Amino acid sequence: MSDKLKQIINKQGDQQNVETDQLDDIVQLVGFVIGEEEYAIPILSIQEIIKPFTWTRVPQVPSCVLGVFNLRGAVIPLIDLRAKFGLQTKNQSEETRFIVMRHGDDVAGFVIDRLTMAIRIKKADIGPAPDTVNGDDTIIEGVGKQADKIITILKVNKLLERDF
Amino acid sequence: MDEFQEILQDFLVESFELVEKLDEDLVELENNPEDLELLNGIFRVAHTVKGASSFLNFDVLTHLTHHMEDVLNKARHGDLIITPDVMDVVLESIDLMKALLETIRDTSTDAGIDVSACVVKLDKITGGSGDVKTPVVVAAEPTPVVEEVVETPVGDDEPDYDSMSPDDLEAEIEKLLQERQAEDKAKRNAKLAAGESVLAAPPEPTEEASSAKEEQKAAPKATPPPVAPTPAPVVEKSTPKEDPKAAAPAKRAPATVEQTIRVDVKRLDHLMNLIGELVLAKNRLIKINDDVEERYEGEEFLEELNQVVSIVSLVTTDLQIAVMKTRMLPIGKVFNKFPRMIRDLSRELNKKIDLELAGEDTELDKSIVEEIGDPLVHIIRNSCDHGVETPEERLAKGKDETGIIGLKAYNEGNQIVIQIDDDGKGLDTDMLKNKSLEKGIITEKEADSMTEKEAFGLIFKPGFSTASAVTNVSGRGVGMDVVKTNIEKLNGIIDIDSELGVGTSMKLKIPLTLAIIQALLVGVQEEYYAIPLASVLETVRISRDEIYTVEGRSVMRLRDEVLSLVHIGDIFEVERILDAGEHAYVVVLGLGTSKLGLIVDTLVGQEEIVIKSLGDYLKGIEGIAGATIRGDGGVTLIVDVVALMQMAKDVKSAPMADTSSAAAITEKTKPSDYTIMIVDDSKTDRTIMRKALEPMGVTLVEASDGQEALSILKAGEHNFDAMLVDIEMPRMDGYTLASEIKKYNKYKNLPLIAVTSRTGKSDRMRGVESGMVEYITKPYSADYLSSVVQRNVNFKAEFL
Repeated sequence: MSDKLKQIINKQGDQQNVETDQLDDIVQLVGFVIGEEEYAIPILSIQEIIKPFTWTRVPQVPSCVLGVFNLRGAVIPLIDLRAKFGLQTKNQSEETRFIVMRHGDDVAGFVIDRLTMAIRIKKADIGPAPDTVNGDDTIIEGVGKQADKIITILKVNKLLERDF
Repeated sequence: MDEFQEILQDFLVESFELVEKLDEDLVELENNPEDLELLNGIFRVAHTVKGASSFLNFDVLTHLTHHMEDVLNKARHGDLIITPDVMDVVLESIDLMKALLETIRDTSTDAGIDVSACVVKLDKITGGSGDVKTPVVVAAEPTPVVEEVVETPVGDDEPDYDSMSPDDLEAEIEKLLQERQAEDKAKRNAKLAAGESVLAAPPEPTEEASSAKEEQKAAPKATPPPVAPTPAPVVEKSTPKEDPKAAAPAKRAPATVEQTIRVDVKRLDHLMNLIGELVLAKNRLIKINDDVEERYEGEEFLEELNQVVSIVSLVTTDLQIAVMKTRMLPIGKVFNKFPRMIRDLSRELNKKIDLELAGEDTELDKSIVEEIGDPLVHIIRNSCDHGVETPEERLAKGKDETGIIGLKAYNEGNQIVIQIDDDGKGLDTDMLKNKSLEKGIITEKEADSMTEKEAFGLIFKPGFSTASAVTNVSGRGVGMDVVKTNIEKLNGIIDIDSELGVGTSMKLKIPLTLAIIQALLVGVQEEYYAIPLASVLETVRISRDEIYTVEGRSVMRLRDEVLSLVHIGDIFEVERILDAGEHAYVVVLGLGTSKLGLIVDTLVGQEEIVIKSLGDYLKGIEGIAGATIRGDGGVTLIVDVVALMQMAKDVKSAPMADTSSAAAITEKTKPSDYTIMIVDDSKTDRTIMRKALEPMGVTLVEASDGQEALSILKAGEHNFDAMLVDIEMPRMDGYTLASEIKKYNKYKNLPLIAVTSRTGKSDRMRGVESGMVEYITKPYSADYLSSVVQRNVNFKAEFL
């Protein structure tokens, strides 16, 4: 009996080892759509994803900053990624979500059109940002290649940086 | 090492507290040089610091305090009169002591500050007045080296006694006594032999220190023999213990030891944040309770709920006050340094000034106490330099030679007031105006139209200075504007009153705490803003025709004043979608001497709000001081009144004349250009209407209740030409929907057609009141509905 148990435990242990091994060179991302394009950000920089609710407009900010909202007692800025990427603003639909991202102490909510899925992608499959996008200023971390499509991976710290 | 750090921390905290009190006492002492009680107190401070620092091996500090102690000790025994000159040296040594303590705090050592000059001065005082033998004093003068040698063995020796058995101790005492006697004998011989033998006298360093002391007060030492062998410091310790008892047992009530613990400020801050959350939750709970009450009126459980809610709210408020109190410090902590400052300033400026303090016990939040010090220093310096006249001038004016500066603090409502009065020459408005003109701070025109208060306010303008010559103390034209910004940062205001030749009085009004404030909530269009109540003077309701336009700016008459107005919507770029109505409210904001009328659409009420920062991403937005979370969970922005007043100067527009509801009316070229919304909760009814209207070819949009209809309307995707509205609907009924829609400028003329089975006359009346233009009762024929719609949207005949 105990032998069996041991076996099982060992097996489980092995499996876990395998998984952790894999984790090292695999990046977990969350994909979402803005306009026509699919983007992704690392899952670890997401604090939470919530359904839209009311926010308060803040004066004297660029149009991509919608305002602030209350996330369980904290006042957090809300940024419309459509506007930030220069797209026409669109009314919110059933699929609209707020992604609350965190980098260090900076937190902000971002409005996206729709979530796609959690993506596991090998590090090897992530290419650098296209050359045409210049230098450190880009908000593109890299480009993830998948079987049927490519996904633009965004830099969370750049998204959370005040640019006005 | 950790233990040492801990002790060091305690030592520093204690020392700083002691030193702070010392300043005040010393100045007091100068006025009453005979006050033995004060002297004892001061002596004890020097002594305590010396004792502790020697234990911690801060040699320089020990050395300095040791000599201070000497001087004070002499004064205490009546051997020395504290003259201003002596006091200068003592004060200098205290400054050095502070500097040393600060160095210790920052670097953990007391190196780097030269105290020898001061020590020499201190020594001269003791040497010059007493009949101490000169050679001994001289021996003490080539200072640090000797002292250190002296002090260290003392520290090393002491613990030995503790560990000895009684017998050994006995023997040790015996031995020491013999040594002492031998030495005394040697000294007597030396005296007899005069001059040269003095140099030979110190055979052992330990005895050098005590002998120096002994010379000063040989009598007390000789009498208690068991004490004698123990080195000097112990003797000293015993004296202060005896003295207060002997000197003033009745006068100074034994300082009652307060039960206190030291708490890290961070913990208090955290506690304060948590309370903030709790207050928000409480506000929310109250709001929910109100809603529940409305919905379940008369139910039994309501009473119970009510009780719980009120208890929670009560306890939260008490808790908030309690926590606030833990952060409170008496303002005396700040006031303490002023007697010394006034003294130094009056000597420097050759004026005679007395400081009268009152209300030192008034308590303020710690963060405010820390911030208020510098502004007060500036104001008091100014009062000394510009306010109080020289003794000659004062005499010539028939005033008392000594000027008086009053500094008092007291509570007034939710604020604390710090008042600084002087009986000096007062502010001369003409002079203020002229100076400002000279420096180009104001224009001639502004100068002419200025009220007295506004002229006083000129002293807070950057670059302004009234002193004709720049002195060491003030006159550089920086300071008072910094004072103003600092006070305003604390949400405080400054009020000046002055009478020429009689004096000036300045009042700083500061909120008790920074984290939670009372605010007035105002509404503009669909937005709400919170204005700190401390800056609100009053609110008035006005009609449009009370607003006048002068040079492109809106103004109104408020009693006998002309108040300039600005619309909050113009400052915060609020879109005008709702109709403003005939009346508006003006919130009169006051900051120091300037006033501004802020036009708002509605006044919501007064509420206690918790200030939250907008975070790094949005910080520094002009006109916004922060945000708060309201009872309904929404975020409301807090107005920064200071910035708002600045912004108001640049806003130019006639606030209420704006009626830009010119929604572009596009030419209808085909039937589908007409858009009609159908609002009904019943799917069947909607389908019936749809079937009736579809033949016309118009575009149809459906909504299942009032809320949905309103949000479709607000979304602005369609330009509706008419709406068919059912009356009985969940969430929001037809009447409410109609009156909501009519609030919008844009939809003023949108035809609303009620389609309902309610046929009562009163129902029709309500429909008309809420803005419905037609009233169709169910059942109806498809043709009738279609014709009513056509009539209301001006359906072009050619499309039929």
